[in-house]
Amino acid sequence: MKIIRIVLQLLVLYGFLLIGEAIQTLLNLPMPGSIIGFLLLFLVLLLKIYPLEWIDVGATFLLSFLSLYFIPATVGVVEYGPLFSGKGVLLLPIVIISTLLTMAAAGLASQTTANRSTAGKEEM
Amino acid sequence: MEFSPVAALFAALTIVIYVIANFFYLRFRKTPLNPVLTATVSLVLILVVFDVPYETYMKGGDWIATLLGPAVVALAVPLYKHRKLLQDNLMPIAVGIVAGVVVGLISGTLFTMWLGFSEELIYTVLPKSLTTPVAMQVASTIGGIPSLAAVFVMVAGFTGILFGPYLLQMLGINSPIGRGIGLGTSAHGLGTAKAFEYGPEDASMSSVAMTLSAVLGALLSPLVAWLLI
Repeated sequence: MKIIRIVLQLLVLYGFLLIGEAIQTLLNLPMPGSIIGFLLLFLVLLLKIYPLEWIDVGATFLLSFLSLYFIPATVGVVEYGPLFSGKGVLLLPIVIISTLLTMAAAGLASQTTANRSTAGKEEM
Repeated sequence: MEFSPVAALFAALTIVIYVIANFFYLRFRKTPLNPVLTATVSLVLILVVFDVPYETYMKGGDWIATLLGPAVVALAVPLYKHRKLLQDNLMPIAVGIVAGVVVGLISGTLFTMWLGFSEELIYTVLPKSLTTPVAMQVASTIGGIPSLAAVFVMVAGFTGILFGPYLLQMLGINSPIGRGIGLGTSAHGLGTAKAFEYGPEDASMSSVAMTLSAVLGALLSPLVAWLLI
């Protein structure tokens, strides 16, 4: 039964989250427990300790509604009306310009590196 | 988490509105109909019109937001499936993501500082390029406001899909790897949706970039905050 596999795999994902959060608390790390859980899952998949088939449908199911889970948070903007009617509106151009700089840096750096490595291979 | 009829009502309302918003987006495929945007605006209007405090709404909203944690863990699965692509292009991907994440974190922090915003707001702007679930958790870890961070993440995403194609063209970024890494690192999931329009290779690159830049951003955010503020 697919539904049972999905539910079981969701519980496994939740288990990785709990382990990640426990590690975060234990070592007092300044990063979210979910990221630690993510790294652990990626590691056990890479090392073939845990097979992809035992997590695939659950993860794919959960991620297909990803944008739903943060809607309650974005609705929180309702509390920040006064911020954006004042000086806070300047935060918008900050985010826009910084995003464009990010894209330029990431795009140019990866494309240049890729071209350089192909050029290197052709010379050999 | 609270189990009450009010909580159940708002959780159900959020899901119903999300389903309707998705239906309209899939039907017409126009950027302004992005389901996160239309669902958020609809719910905000409902709260304002019926005079419901956000705190009351969140009794149900929390039920849904609980899924953010396991969803971040689940991102390991698509990354694992793209491991061949990652392995074959390790250097360009790594260099691009490091450059983008560092420029994004530092520029956002400096601009916000220069305009004299409070530390809490600097920490809130800092994770804007990371995918929403990660950005919210990073904001709350370093002392920002998670729900406001989610709003800035959306602004970053829309910047990427609205202005990104012009910027990429202007800078001569015309390879799947350059476009994909650029869009995914700066505009996360929305950028990845845009990358799909260029082609499957752009989309895979963007998806890998979105996940890796979120991880790198989560690791570097506390460091940047500590160094600059």
